[in-house]
Amino acid sequence: MFINHKKHFLLTAALGLFFSFSLLAQNSVIKPFLNSNMYAGIEVGSKGVKMSFVELDKKASEDAEFKIIKDTSINTDFISFTTATYQATLAALNNLYQIAVKQNRIPASNIFTAISSGVNIQAEKEDKKNWIDQLVNAFKTNNNEPDRKVAIIDVKEEARLSHLGIVPEARRYNTFLIDIGSGNTKGGYFPYDNTKDFKLFQLTWGTKSAANAAEKKLGTGNSIDNFNSQLSRVLAGAEENEIVYAVNASGAFPKSDNIAFSGGIAWAVANLVLPELNDNAVVPISYEEVLQFSEKLSKNPGLYSDYYILKTLPENTPDLDKIGKDIRQVNKVFDQRSLLSGTGLLLKIMRQFDGVVERKKFYLVKNGAVGWISAYVNQNSVK
Amino acid sequence: MRDTKSLLLLLVSLLLVLVSFVLIWTWGYNFYAKNENLKASTSIVRIDSAAIAANVRDSLQKLYTATLHDLDIQLDSTLTHSDSLKNELDVKLAAFYRLRTEIVSILKNRNNNNNNFAIAKQKINELQGKADDLKDKNQVVDNENKKLSEVLNQISKSEKASDNNNRPVNTVKNGNTERATPIYSLFTASDLRLSAVTDTDEKETETNVAEKTDKFNGSFTVVNFNSQLINAEMMVVVLKPDGRVLKSSGWDSGTFNTVEGKKIYSYKFSFAYNRGEAKRLLFSLKGNSLSRGNYTMEVYQNGQLIGRMVKILS
Repeated sequence: MFINHKKHFLLTAALGLFFSFSLLAQNSVIKPFLNSNMYAGIEVGSKGVKMSFVELDKKASEDAEFKIIKDTSINTDFISFTTATYQATLAALNNLYQIAVKQNRIPASNIFTAISSGVNIQAEKEDKKNWIDQLVNAFKTNNNEPDRKVAIIDVKEEARLSHLGIVPEARRYNTFLIDIGSGNTKGGYFPYDNTKDFKLFQLTWGTKSAANAAEKKLGTGNSIDNFNSQLSRVLAGAEENEIVYAVNASGAFPKSDNIAFSGGIAWAVANLVLPELNDNAVVPISYEEVLQFSEKLSKNPGLYSDYYILKTLPENTPDLDKIGKDIRQVNKVFDQRSLLSGTGLLLKIMRQFDGVVERKKFYLVKNGAVGWISAYVNQNSVK
Repeated sequence: MRDTKSLLLLLVSLLLVLVSFVLIWTWGYNFYAKNENLKASTSIVRIDSAAIAANVRDSLQKLYTATLHDLDIQLDSTLTHSDSLKNELDVKLAAFYRLRTEIVSILKNRNNNNNNFAIAKQKINELQGKADDLKDKNQVVDNENKKLSEVLNQISKSEKASDNNNRPVNTVKNGNTERATPIYSLFTASDLRLSAVTDTDEKETETNVAEKTDKFNGSFTVVNFNSQLINAEMMVVVLKPDGRVLKSSGWDSGTFNTVEGKKIYSYKFSFAYNRGEAKRLLFSLKGNSLSRGNYTMEVYQNGQLIGRMVKILS
């Protein structure tokens, strides 16, 4: 459909060349993985294509431990379903695959490819499922792998795999994992001490959708105070109509000691509130800390600039450059309003678990993005 | 005749001897009596000084008791005043609520005539008056509360001062006998252990070689005789030779506040505690590619360092 078109072919070639150079530059320091337990997982997500290098434990089993050695991603915005984003996604997919095979010398049998549930849901909504089929076929043809399996993951399986990929085995059966995305929230837990049965939790609210709903209510007053008032109304409605019900229906409260949040807002808050724990993939946090962050951010967003945070950290703090870089990245991805709406949603969910008698432990997961594909690799390498 | 002279002489001699005895006895008696008086006068002086000291102490005691009594009276009167104010407030609040209910019932009744509305208006005015009155009373109660707290502060100050004055000398010399109670009582940590372990074939063997260390196993005992705490938290910080904190997993580590500022802990214990119980706490930290040098284990409670030890890996 697209490949036959000369213009599109040239565009693909140009994008392919561009990504080849850029990824060569990014990965020039990566040495070949000569370990036979090294695997790669490539995922086509809503926002882009991600690749994770995973080293599996010698004792292969579904519960085997695995270590994420490296991950990389290219933003392509596939779910816009435009020709340009399609071409960019295909080019990124091809190039990440070639990097895994040629640069890192990972056997093709150790490379797993999958399409995320977000892409599938959006394609179904917009009747664009043929775009996914076309992408998969083009990828197989380009890499001369007609038998390659490119799995399309459903939402429950993705949430289950995320749990397996993020939460360590010691905390597997008492941790409720909630992924706050831009458009929705999903997660769940294992209620019966096995990894087959998974209780799915879903909300139709995400960081961006909450911010958009508040923006729509602004009217003529575009001030941050007005935004906060409207956001409070939006989130109060979300809490009353959906969050309370969904948390109760999940039955997670009595079965979970730990409530872990992943997604962009979890990554952002973790970096801004606890910069000292920059090298932690997961950080513990309290309801009060998030609330305080939200209040300070609302009054004075300058407190969370890289300049101010670095200034307030002790001089002997390790990795100050890396901390500064990550904070700049957070402020590039999230503006004040997105942060406020994401934090507001986070607080509404946290409040359901912050009882007077029993308080759960809260965690923010920073590397949630590579969680499910890593677990997918682990699971499929065993079969 | 000669016999008569001899007899007379004998009688005179006897008389002289007798007089001498009387004189000696008198002198002796006087001497004895004088000594007794001297003794008595000395003892009287001694009794007088003790009595004076006792009197002085009694007067101080009386003054102190009187002051305390005075303060007690003040406190009682303030409390009574406060109670009476509370009663007054209760009465006024009851009147306020009664009026409000009456007005609501009048307003709810749709069949009311103008007369009833007039009553309602009158009652609303009355309600407004009562609300203002309550506001004033509230101000008075606030002032009384301030007075009460001042009196209480005064009492606690005078009690502290009296404690200091009455403290026995040996207590001052020996600080251990009467230590001032801290704002929050800390645990004491003892028997701190940190062992480097090689994990081979599910068997753990202790080592002192950095390259062979797979993990650290740590333990310590904490005890607290003063605390009424039911739940307690302990933070363990294990510092690597480069000064960085050893962290097994992000799930176990985090930050806490100390007087020196925010610190990162390697492991955190949250546990239920019974007063006086010697609680043994154990933890394990995975350590990949550890370097040689000193590994310092520190135990913190309420942001204060309560235990420290160093483990050397060669």
